[in-house]
Amino acid sequence: MDCGTCETSSPVQLMTPEVVNVNLSISNKAQEMLSDAFGDDRSMALLVGVLSGGCSGYMYDLQIVEETDQSCQEITVDGFKVLVPNASSHLLDGIEIDYVDRLMGGGFKINNPNAESSCGCGESFS
Amino acid sequence: MPLVAYPDAALTIWQGKDALQFIDGLSTNKMVDMMKGQLVQTVFTSSQAKIIDFVTVFHMGEVLAVQCHQSKLQNLLNHVLPRILGQDVTITDVTERNQFAVEYKVKNEHVGTFISVNNVTYGRTESNLNIVIASKENTLQHSGTIAEFDAWRIENLVPWNNHEITIKNHPLAAGLSKFVHPAKGCYIGQEILARMVSRGRQGKNLVRCKNSEVDDKLITTRGEIYSLGIVRAIQ
Repeated sequence: MDCGTCETSSPVQLMTPEVVNVNLSISNKAQEMLSDAFGDDRSMALLVGVLSGGCSGYMYDLQIVEETDQSCQEITVDGFKVLVPNASSHLLDGIEIDYVDRLMGGGFKINNPNAESSCGCGESFS
Repeated sequence: MPLVAYPDAALTIWQGKDALQFIDGLSTNKMVDMMKGQLVQTVFTSSQAKIIDFVTVFHMGEVLAVQCHQSKLQNLLNHVLPRILGQDVTITDVTERNQFAVEYKVKNEHVGTFISVNNVTYGRTESNLNIVIASKENTLQHSGTIAEFDAWRIENLVPWNNHEITIKNHPLAAGLSKFVHPAKGCYIGQEILARMVSRGRQGKNLVRCKNSEVDDKLITTRGEIYSLGIVRAIQ
């Protein structure tokens, strides 16, 4: 197998999407839950990203972070610092971060106007 | 052992720390536990659970060598490239640097591994089948014909690219059930395949059948007396 010379081959050109300035909103219930999670320390940020995978091809990724090595745009929404990776900004513009309070399947939910379909668990979309 | 050309094979190199996780998230088999020296076969599926490509992943250590198919490569790339978002994944097509063959009627003890001898890599995909990938500088001595290989496939119920493994079929119908992991996380098409398995309704099956007993248009690999076909019920 000749893969030792692959450094001399050009990688397949990635389809780099346009970086979009993201607008997003956080529902009142989600703000309450984020306030509980953040406490008084507002130096932390909510990272809202997208990973490949899941039943529908993309999965949401929510994390509370101090910093990230991803190239991100930083926005402030209702007093919360939110980081959105530029690479997935085209998939996240216009989303609402909500919180669903129920025993099964509850937790943070993303309402995404860009999603053509979502899987049953709500974590994956296409 | 007979060695026949595998002209539709392609080879891509996937690099980056997220490459294995990335393939795992988009295909039917469990990939994340792979170790260097192992190979795993998996199916990339569409949202309708149809086959995009059936690939063999060789864990080379620093990189993953993914043997796929030239006739499906563009569709595969169209499927995966938009999903490389922030992940560290780079794909390189090195098909032109390699030649491909299939060695069959072998007796493998260590299925799921590969060895390289003089720049020729033997991927032990089955107990009786190797995928052979060699640098173009090597000479592979072919010792069988495609017709003989097809006859062996019919005898052993082995599905093959562009016969049974097509975009019209889902992996369960194409005889690729063992590459659909029953307990891994979500991937595109997983809900449909899981529903088929849990309800026992996978629709069609790959079968070996007598030519006289099956409709011509259901035959996927034709033999002299027996053929392979994808049918709704064993006929």
